[in-house]
Amino acid sequence: MTADPGGNATADSPPLSSADLAVATRGLVKSYGRHKALVGLDMSVPRGRVYGFLGPNGSGKTTALRLLTGLLRPSAGTIALFGTPYTWHDRKRLFQVGSLIETPSFYPYLSGRENLLVLSAAGPLTDPKRIDQVLDYVGMSGRSKDAVQTYSLGMKQRLGIAAAMLSDPALLLLDEPANGLDPGGIVAMRETLRYFTESLGKTVVISSHQLHEVELLADVVGIIDQGRLLREGDLQQLLSDAGRVKVRVAPDEMARAAEVLGRLAPGRPLYGVDSGEQAGWFTVGTSPNRAAEINRALVEAGIFASGLEPGSDLESVFLELTGSGAAVHDRPSDAAHMGGPLPPQMPGTAS
Amino acid sequence: MTRLVRAELLKIRRRQATYVLFVILLILTAVVFIAGGRFWTISGLVSFPQAYATFFFQTIYQLGSLIAIVFAAAYVGADWNWGVLRTIVARGEGRERYLVAKFIALAIVLAIALLVMFAAGFVLTFLQSVLYGIPMASPLRADGLQDLVVWIVVGFPVLLQRAAIGFAVAAIFRSQLAGAVVGIVLFLVESVLTTILTLLSATSGLGSGIGNGLDSGIQPVGPEWFQFLPVTIGGNVLGALPGGGGLDSTDLSSILLKPVPFSIAMACVLLYLVVALAIALIALRRQEIA
Repeated sequence: MTADPGGNATADSPPLSSADLAVATRGLVKSYGRHKALVGLDMSVPRGRVYGFLGPNGSGKTTALRLLTGLLRPSAGTIALFGTPYTWHDRKRLFQVGSLIETPSFYPYLSGRENLLVLSAAGPLTDPKRIDQVLDYVGMSGRSKDAVQTYSLGMKQRLGIAAAMLSDPALLLLDEPANGLDPGGIVAMRETLRYFTESLGKTVVISSHQLHEVELLADVVGIIDQGRLLREGDLQQLLSDAGRVKVRVAPDEMARAAEVLGRLAPGRPLYGVDSGEQAGWFTVGTSPNRAAEINRALVEAGIFASGLEPGSDLESVFLELTGSGAAVHDRPSDAAHMGGPLPPQMPGTAS
Repeated sequence: MTRLVRAELLKIRRRQATYVLFVILLILTAVVFIAGGRFWTISGLVSFPQAYATFFFQTIYQLGSLIAIVFAAAYVGADWNWGVLRTIVARGEGRERYLVAKFIALAIVLAIALLVMFAAGFVLTFLQSVLYGIPMASPLRADGLQDLVVWIVVGFPVLLQRAAIGFAVAAIFRSQLAGAVVGIVLFLVESVLTTILTLLSATSGLGSGIGNGLDSGIQPVGPEWFQFLPVTIGGNVLGALPGGGGLDSTDLSSILLKPVPFSIAMACVLLYLVVALAIALIALRRQEIA
C-alpha cells in the first residue's frame, strides 16, 4: 500500500473515505525535529474486526495511536475515522473512540470507580450505570472502591481497558493491552474483545509486540517498522503466504546445514541458534509443505535432522519483515529458538 | 461544563494535599497571629476590626497567596504528572473546556478556604484578646461586619489572581513542581524587586524634596510603573480597603509611593487574572500530549 506525497490514496490502497474502514490513514507523517517517528503511514482498519498493529519497540505504533486520538498533531498526511476525515482538535469525532494509550493513567488517590466517574464527566455523555457494567466486564467490581494506588499493574491495566470501554465506543484503540495481565486476565480480555467485535460489531485495534497474543486475537494485522507500514492484510492470508519449517541438526553441523538450507530457500530468512540448550535449531522461512524436501536435502548432504517442525506463525512473518529477532522473545518456548538469530546467510556459507 | 466542574471538585475534595496545604496555612496563621500578638498589643492594634484586618492582610493574603499558588500548581500540574490529561483529551473532551472547568473548581475551593479562614480568624482574634487581656469590641457590629464582607469580596479576586499565576505556570511547564516553584519565585522576586524600586524612587523623590526644605517631610511619589506588576497591584487593592491603609503603615510603599487608584488597581488585577487564564488555555490548546 502506498500514498502519493500529498497523502492521497493511490491505486492499490482503498480510498480514504471508504465507509468500510473504521480507521484509514494516508501518508501520515510525524516528525520531531529531524527525527521522523512516522514516515507516510498508510493504515486501513476494517470495521468490525480486530486489527493487530505490530512492530518492534520504537517502530511508531504508539505515535500512530496518539495521532489517532488527537494527542499529537500530524506533520503531514490525513486520517479518516469511519469514512470521514478527522483533523486535530476535531474533538467530538473522538466520542466514537475509546483508547488506552501507553500505560493506564489514573488519579492514584481516587478509587477505581471514582476514577471512572470523573472520566465519565469528560467527553461524550455517559450513563453512570455504564461504570458498573465496564467494571464487571474487566472483573474489577470487587476492588472498585479501593484507591488505585493500591492496585497492581495488572489491575490498573484492567481498569484502563474499562475506561476505554466506558462510553461504549465504536472503535477501541488499545496500546499493549495485555501488559501486566495474568493468564486469566489475558484470556478474559481476549474473550471480551472478541465479544465486542463479533457480537457488537465494534472495531478493535491492538498495538502490541506480543505476537502470540495478536495471533490469537487479530483478524487483520499491520506490521510497522521505523515509522513505515511494511505489511498489512488478513492474518490467515499472511500466515499462509509466509510459512516456516523448523529443523534441528547437530550443533557441529550447523555451518554445513546452513549452506544446504540457504540453497533450498534462497532469499528467504534463515535463523539459527548456535548456543545453549536449543543449539542446532534452524527456522527456515518457507512453505511448511517443503519439510520433507528439506529433510531429504539434508540427508543427501550427510546431515541427519533430529527434529523437524513444519508450521506457520506470525513470528516468522514479523522476523522476515523487520529482521528484528531480538524483539520477539515473547513466548518462553520460542525465545530459545530465536535467541541467537543468524544472519540470512551464515558466515562462510555459499549464497 | 457542570459535570466537569463537579468531577473536578470531587478530585480536589478527595485529595489529601488539599487538606495538608490548608492545615499548613492554618497553623502558620495561628503562629503568626498568636506570636505577633505582643507586638500588635503594644502597637494598640488589637481591637476590632483592626486586629482582624491584621489577620487578613498579614496572613491570608500573604501566606495564603503563596499557599494558593502552590495549590493551584499542584492541582493543574497533576494532570500532566499522572498522565490523566492524555485519557481526558483522548476521550474527546475539549482542552479549553476542561481547563476552564478546573479554574472554576479552583475558584470555588479558594472561596471556601477563604470563608473557613474567615471563621478561624474570629477564633484566633478572640484567643489573642484573651491571651493579652485586651477587651475587644464585637466583630458583629454593623460597620465591622461590613468591613469584613468588603475584605472578603474585594480580596478574593486578588487571591485568585495570584493562584492563577501558579495555575498558568504549571500549565505551560506541564508540571506541578515547576508551577509551584516558578510561581513562588515570581511572587517573592517581584516583592523584593518592588521594595528595591520603591526605595530608589523614594530616594530620587527625596532629592527633589530637599530643595523645598525638610519641613515638608517625605512626599509620596508615583504611581510608578512597578506598582502595576501582578503581585504589587494586588497589594494596592488590599491597601485601599477599610483598615488596610492603617495596616500598611508598616509597608514602605504606602509611605513612599502614591497608591494606584482602587478602581484602576482592581481592573488590573482582573486583567492579570484573565491574561493568566488565557495563557494557560493557549498553552494547552497548542500542546502535544505525549
